Amino acid sequence: MSTLPEWKGWVRHFLLTIGLNFSNPQAIVYGYLVPVFFLVAFGSVFRSDTPPLLSRMGQILTITILGGACFGLPTALVAERERGIWRRYRLLPISISWLVLSAMIARLLIVASAVLIQIALARAVYGTPLPARPGAAALAFLFVTGAFLGMGLLIAALADNVPAVQALGQCIFLPMILIGGVGVPLEVLPAWAQRVAGFMPGRYAVEVLQPCFDARQGIRGTGFRLGALAVIGLAAGISGTKLFRWEAGQRIGRPARWWVAAGLASWGMVGLVAWRTGKLQPVPADARAWNTITEAQMGQIGFDGLPADNDFIAALAPSHSDPERTKVLAGKLAVWPPGQLDDSGQSIRNLVCVAAVADLSEDPREAEIARLVYQQIRRGFVPAVARQALAWIILGPEDGQALTKAPELGLFRHPPERLVRQRSVVYAKKYLGRALGKIPE
Amino acid sequence: MHPVANVAASSIDAAVSVAGLWKRYGATEAVRGISFEVAPGEIFGLLGPNGAGKTTTLECILGLRLPDSGSIRINGLDIKASRAKRLIGAQLQAAALQDKITPRQALELFGSFYPQSFGAEELLLRFDIESKADAAFATLSGGQKQRLFLALAVINRPAVLVLDEPGAGLDPQARRTIHSLIREVAAEGRTVLLSTHDLEEAHRLCGRLGIMDSGRLVAVASPAELIERSQATTRVTVRTAPPLASSAVGTLPEVTGARFDESGWVLETRAANHVLADLVRRVDEAGAQLLDLELRRPSLEDVFIELTGRPWPVDDARGGAA
Repeated sequence: MSTLPEWKGWVRHFLLTIGLNFSNPQAIVYGYLVPVFFLVAFGSVFRSDTPPLLSRMGQILTITILGGACFGLPTALVAERERGIWRRYRLLPISISWLVLSAMIARLLIVASAVLIQIALARAVYGTPLPARPGAAALAFLFVTGAFLGMGLLIAALADNVPAVQALGQCIFLPMILIGGVGVPLEVLPAWAQRVAGFMPGRYAVEVLQPCFDARQGIRGTGFRLGALAVIGLAAGISGTKLFRWEAGQRIGRPARWWVAAGLASWGMVGLVAWRTGKLQPVPADARAWNTITEAQMGQIGFDGLPADNDFIAALAPSHSDPERTKVLAGKLAVWPPGQLDDSGQSIRNLVCVAAVADLSEDPREAEIARLVYQQIRRGFVPAVARQALAWIILGPEDGQALTKAPELGLFRHPPERLVRQRSVVYAKKYLGRALGKIPE
Repeated sequence: MHPVANVAASSIDAAVSVAGLWKRYGATEAVRGISFEVAPGEIFGLLGPNGAGKTTTLECILGLRLPDSGSIRINGLDIKASRAKRLIGAQLQAAALQDKITPRQALELFGSFYPQSFGAEELLLRFDIESKADAAFATLSGGQKQRLFLALAVINRPAVLVLDEPGAGLDPQARRTIHSLIREVAAEGRTVLLSTHDLEEAHRLCGRLGIMDSGRLVAVASPAELIERSQATTRVTVRTAPPLASSAVGTLPEVTGARFDESGWVLETRAANHVLADLVRRVDEAGAQLLDLELRRPSLEDVFIELTGRPWPVDDARGGAA
């Protein structure tokens, strides 16, 4: 756009698009009432959560955004194309891509309003806390909505008519709802489905929106997920732009299949990278339980009767013991993938398991390893998170997953899981006692 | 009559100049090397049956289709120049707007893209849609919609107005209103280029016509000139009681053909005045009673048949695109 009238026209088109959306009963039903239905459904299913729905807001908002971007946008674009409206727009002295952009930004605001209504309703009806990090939530929303709008544009480009939009949209919507971690929670899905979810943008959308409701976490540590959404959204958006049809009956040429393939390849590429970098570790059913550990619960943990640090059981080298030969191991521990999961609680449990396995395996470096694990926990995690996770290991020894070997760290023996869990509790107590100042360093 | 050759167009003063325009869709040649010019202020019509290439030609002129070859100029500017686009206003066939948009909103939206445009209120009044200014588009009648599209077409004060089948699908009264508005627009000095498959619309509305058939421009002239140049004859049908004898009819001077059917004697002539005078005398001489006398001048349909060797398609009474 180079002239003032074109800008004025663009703004008018943008405002009119929003206005027409609110005068369309169908758009109101699908854009606002259906998401409320999902909110109520989630509220009924997860009514016993404390605080209510807090750990489901990522899923609820993702469903709202997914509906608005992957159904609302392409339905509007294709309906207008079928009526010859985009054909008429082509005669205007402005590039049609500017008007498509106007429609997409208008849709972003429409979806934002639906999301805000969801958050307000959850607060009013269920007492769900508001996002603890509004800035992070806004950024996460932009990434998620941008990615889904890109997909919506590609659907609009591929669909010949409105029923085809519904069919294509369902092809994306249903798998993400059922096995993508958007509708059915990731932690109740079987391991294979959780891995498959890693190849879908819905999982990443939930995983960047959900932490924004947690004061401690925000979007810190979600860099890969934000990047995944950006890659998927850009690939779909570019493909959609290349294939965009302004006229009903206009055929898509043969090169279209390559653009569609490029859009889908981004899903595969993101999933493969996540898989190869250990980001698709199965999420245990109660993985998020560590989040709910309170200070009062921690206060009830006793630290009496623990074996001495130089004992045969649960040995822990003194803090000044940091010989040169352990530096290599410390380096490995710092980049060990199971200790770097997005789920901080499980990451800390994995690290504690290393100490437990070394101790049970009677590794000659068991005491040093235990010390290095403690140092890694202190270095790699926010103190409040570390305290909660350690308390979770103590209070819920059977929760989460327990690693029983770590060949990457030179621990090849395979002690029974039951013993690893028991020994993890002892080490977790030693670590937590130190973190709370109840055991001297 | 000689089919009018494609005009080698390049006149500097032409409002629209099309030269050697070709457009193919795969193996189908929709437009086959046509050339013509439209003078400023003229109402020029492309007449032809469905599939003749009219809409494709207009879409190339509007920049909606990329020609395979040929050149198109608007007021001397190549159509690819962005300035040329601002000189054109258009009403497309089978166009629609959003169901809920109001005429006022539509006019304000489309007008806002141009530096020089008519105000929405002015157009609502002029095109007689002010009573529906704030009604949803879906609630407008066919005539009101067409008047709105015409208003949208002129909103940027275009030098050239391109109208694709402006009267299609309208009842006679609405069609007359649209024709009257088109004449008004042309009277302001704007050039009108329209397509139609309605012979009557073409005859009544257009100063000049280009007859298209199978992607070719087979004739360009005013409707009167086309008919005048035609070899088609005037048809005189006469019914008497008792019927005239063949000897009385066959000897009439300047009659080129005569046949008797259920409607009576049908005579073909290029000198209708003389034949009518002689015919009435023969009826009188035969002592017969004149029951019916009908004179049918050659029409554009006859011109089309003569130029293409094919009858005007009956189903073209309905709308359609090329």
